Amino acid sequence: MRIIKFFSGLLLLISAFTSHAALQVVTTTQDLAAIAQAVGGKQVEVQSLTQGTRDPHFATAKPSMIRQVFGADLLLVIGADMEIGWLPPLLQSARNSRVQPGNPGYLDLSSAVVLLDKISGPVSRSMGDVHAKGNPHYWLDPRNGLRMAQAIATRLSEMDPAHKDDYQRRLNTFEQIMGTKLPLWQAELAPLKGKRVIAYHKSFIYLADAFGFQIIDEIEPMPGITPSASTLSTLVERIKTEHIGLLIMEPYYERRSANYLNEQTAIRMVVLPQSVGAQTDINTYFDLFDAIVATLNKVED
Amino acid sequence: MSYAHFRFKRLAALSCLLLPATGTVLAGEEINALHRQIQHMLLLQQNQEQQIKELERHLQHLEEDASDASTDNSGLLSSSTTTTSDGFQIGLSGLFSVGGSSIDNDTLEGLQAGAHDPKQNGFTVQNLELSMGGTVDTHFDAQTNIIFQIDANGETVVELEEAFFTTRNLPWGLQVKGGQYFTEFGRQNPQHPHAWSFVDQPIVLSRFFGGDGLRGQGVRVSWLMPTQWYSELYFGIQNPKGETATSFLNTPGEEIGGYTLIDRDARNFSDLLYSARWLNGVDLSETVSMNVGVSGLRGPNASGMSTDTSIYGADLYVKWQAVSSQHGFPFISWHTEILKREYSAGDITDFVHETLKDEGLFTQAQWGFKPGWIAGLRAEYARADGDTSADPLRDNRHRLSPNLTWYLSEYSKLRLQYNRDWVEHLPNDTADSLWLQMEFNLGSHAAHVF
Repeated sequence: MRIIKFFSGLLLLISAFTSHAALQVVTTTQDLAAIAQAVGGKQVEVQSLTQGTRDPHFATAKPSMIRQVFGADLLLVIGADMEIGWLPPLLQSARNSRVQPGNPGYLDLSSAVVLLDKISGPVSRSMGDVHAKGNPHYWLDPRNGLRMAQAIATRLSEMDPAHKDDYQRRLNTFEQIMGTKLPLWQAELAPLKGKRVIAYHKSFIYLADAFGFQIIDEIEPMPGITPSASTLSTLVERIKTEHIGLLIMEPYYERRSANYLNEQTAIRMVVLPQSVGAQTDINTYFDLFDAIVATLNKVED
Repeated sequence: MSYAHFRFKRLAALSCLLLPATGTVLAGEEINALHRQIQHMLLLQQNQEQQIKELERHLQHLEEDASDASTDNSGLLSSSTTTTSDGFQIGLSGLFSVGGSSIDNDTLEGLQAGAHDPKQNGFTVQNLELSMGGTVDTHFDAQTNIIFQIDANGETVVELEEAFFTTRNLPWGLQVKGGQYFTEFGRQNPQHPHAWSFVDQPIVLSRFFGGDGLRGQGVRVSWLMPTQWYSELYFGIQNPKGETATSFLNTPGEEIGGYTLIDRDARNFSDLLYSARWLNGVDLSETVSMNVGVSGLRGPNASGMSTDTSIYGADLYVKWQAVSSQHGFPFISWHTEILKREYSAGDITDFVHETLKDEGLFTQAQWGFKPGWIAGLRAEYARADGDTSADPLRDNRHRLSPNLTWYLSEYSKLRLQYNRDWVEHLPNDTADSLWLQMEFNLGSHAAHVF
C-alpha cells in the first residue's frame, strides 16, 4: 500500500512539472530540430530522437524515444524510408494518435522537397539498401533547408495560429540569412564546380547538386554494403585513369577503405559533417554549411 | 547556376529596383534594406528556377515512365503520401542450423528443450516464420505470425504462433492487445527466434515456459505512465491451458516433478493466468541506455484441482553504442534475467503434496566489434530444491555458450555457437555441441528494436 501511495504521489508531482505551454516538437534528426528551433523559437520545445554523430538510418527504437514521441504535439521526420527501421515500431509503442501519419501532428519533410534518385524500375535487395522513394539525404542541399523551414512554419502556424506572425517573422529571418549565405557559400565553392568526386555512401548527391560538382562513384559497391578488396582495386583503377582528385565521406564510416584509396592514388580524403550535431560546433542549420564549406575550402587551397 | 551568372542577375535586379528611384537620394539604411530585399527576391527567384528545373526533370521522368503502369507517376505529390500508405506488410524469415554434439539425438532433446533449438546431430530447420501485419484503421494495428517447422521425425508442423490486434489511439497512454500472443514476461520470452542473440533458448525459459515460450489467448492492457523517463505497466489475462502454458494447466498426462497432470479446465476468473510487468527505460548517458523490468505470473496448475503456480522474474538490459557509429556498430550489450517458480504440486487434501521450487538465471553479453560482426558470450544455470538429479527438466544445469555472428547484410546472417553443458542427469556430466546457423529475412524491413 505504501508503495502505491508513493508512486501515485510521485506521478502527481511529475505531471505537475511536465505540463508545458510550448508546442512539443520531436524530430527524427538534429537537422530537423535545428530548423524547427529556428522557425519555432520560444513557442516550441524541440527534441531530436537521434544524434547527428550517428547514421540516422540505423538508429534503434529506444524506450526513451517512446517517451519522447508519446509527449509530442508535432513529429517531424525525414521520410523516404530513412527511418523505416525504427520509426514504425516507435509509433506503434508510443500510442500518440496526434503524431500518427495522416494527422496534423505528423509532418514528413520529404514531401516539401523533390527527391533525387527515385527508382522507377523494379527494386530488389540484391541492389543493396536502395531507397525506392528517392534518396533521403536531401537536407544537404541548403535550398531544401529553406523549403523545409517553409513547410515547418506553415504547419506550426496551422497548429498554433495565435503565433502565426512569430513563425512568419522567424521564417523571414531564416530566408534572409539563407539569402545572404548561399551566394557566399557558392562563391567559396566555385572552384569545385564541375569537379568529379567520389563519395563513401550515396548521401552527398544533394550537396553536389547545390554546388555544381559531380559524384561519379561511391566506395560502397551498393548502398549500405561494405566494400570488398576487389571493389577497392577497381576504384583505384578508375581514380587513376580518370584523374579523380577528391573523396568525401561522413565521419561515422570506417576510414580504412578511404585511407587505402588515398595511399594507392593520392586522392584527397575529406571527412564532411553530414548533419547538425556531427561536430560540437555545429548547432544550427547554417553552421552545418559553414562547416562543410570551410572543410571543402581547406582542401581546395 | 554559375556564380558569374548569379552576379549578373544581381546587378540586373538591382538596377531594375533602382531605376524608379532615380533622382532620389537614398539613405544608407534604405540601401541596406533594399539589399536585403533584393537578396531575398533573388533567392526566391533562384528557388523558382530550381523548381522549374525540377519540374522539367519530373516531366522527363513521367514521359519516360508513361508506359509503365506499375511505377509511381504521381510526380511532385507522391512523396507526401508515401509514408501513410505502408499498409499491409508481409515477411518471411527462415532459421536453419547444422551441427553436432558429443551426445546422441535422444539425450540432446533433453538438453535443447526449446522448440526452435537445434537439437539433432545434422540439420535442423529451426523456424520458418511467415508474418503479416499492418495498420487496420485509425483504431487498430494487427499482426499474425505463422510458423512452420520440421520435427525430429521429418513431419511438418504448422502453428498459429501469434495473431493479435493492438489499439492505436486510446487516451492516457493506454494500449490494449488481444488475441493469441507471447506473454510480456521478461525481455526474451516475447522475442521471436530470429531476434535472439544465441541459436537456442535459455535453459530456464525452456523449463518454465516450455519449448515454444509462454503464449496464449487473452487480452492485456498496458499503460505508458506520465513519468519523465520511460515507464510502462502491463497487466494481462490469458487462458492457462495448452502446451504453451507449461507451468500452468499445460496438457493432461504431462509430468512435472513426478506429478502427472490431470485434465483441469478454467472454471472461473480466478482460474485464468494473470500476468503483470513493470518496465523502465532510461538513458544513462549519450551512449548508454538501460531497461529494467520486473514481471510476475500467477495461474492454476493441473497437478491438482486447487493448485497454482507463481513465477517471478527480473530483467536488465544495458547497451552501449559509440557516439560515432556505422550501421549501429560498435556496440556492447548486456542482458540478464533471473526467474523463480513456486509450483504447488498436489492438492492439500492429497496424501502427497509439496511446493516445487525452481530457479534459473542467464546472463549474456554481445560485442559488435566491427560493422556486421558480433561476438557473444552467455552463461546460465538452472536448479531446483530437493533431489532432482534424474529429472532433465529440474536437475542442476550450467551452460556456457560463446558465439560469433556475421550479418552479411541487414537481411541475412551466419552464426557459429559452441555450447559447453554441465548436466546432472547425464552419466558423464558434460556435453559439447557446435552449431552453425543461417538466417534470412524476406519482405518487410526488419525493425531495429532496442
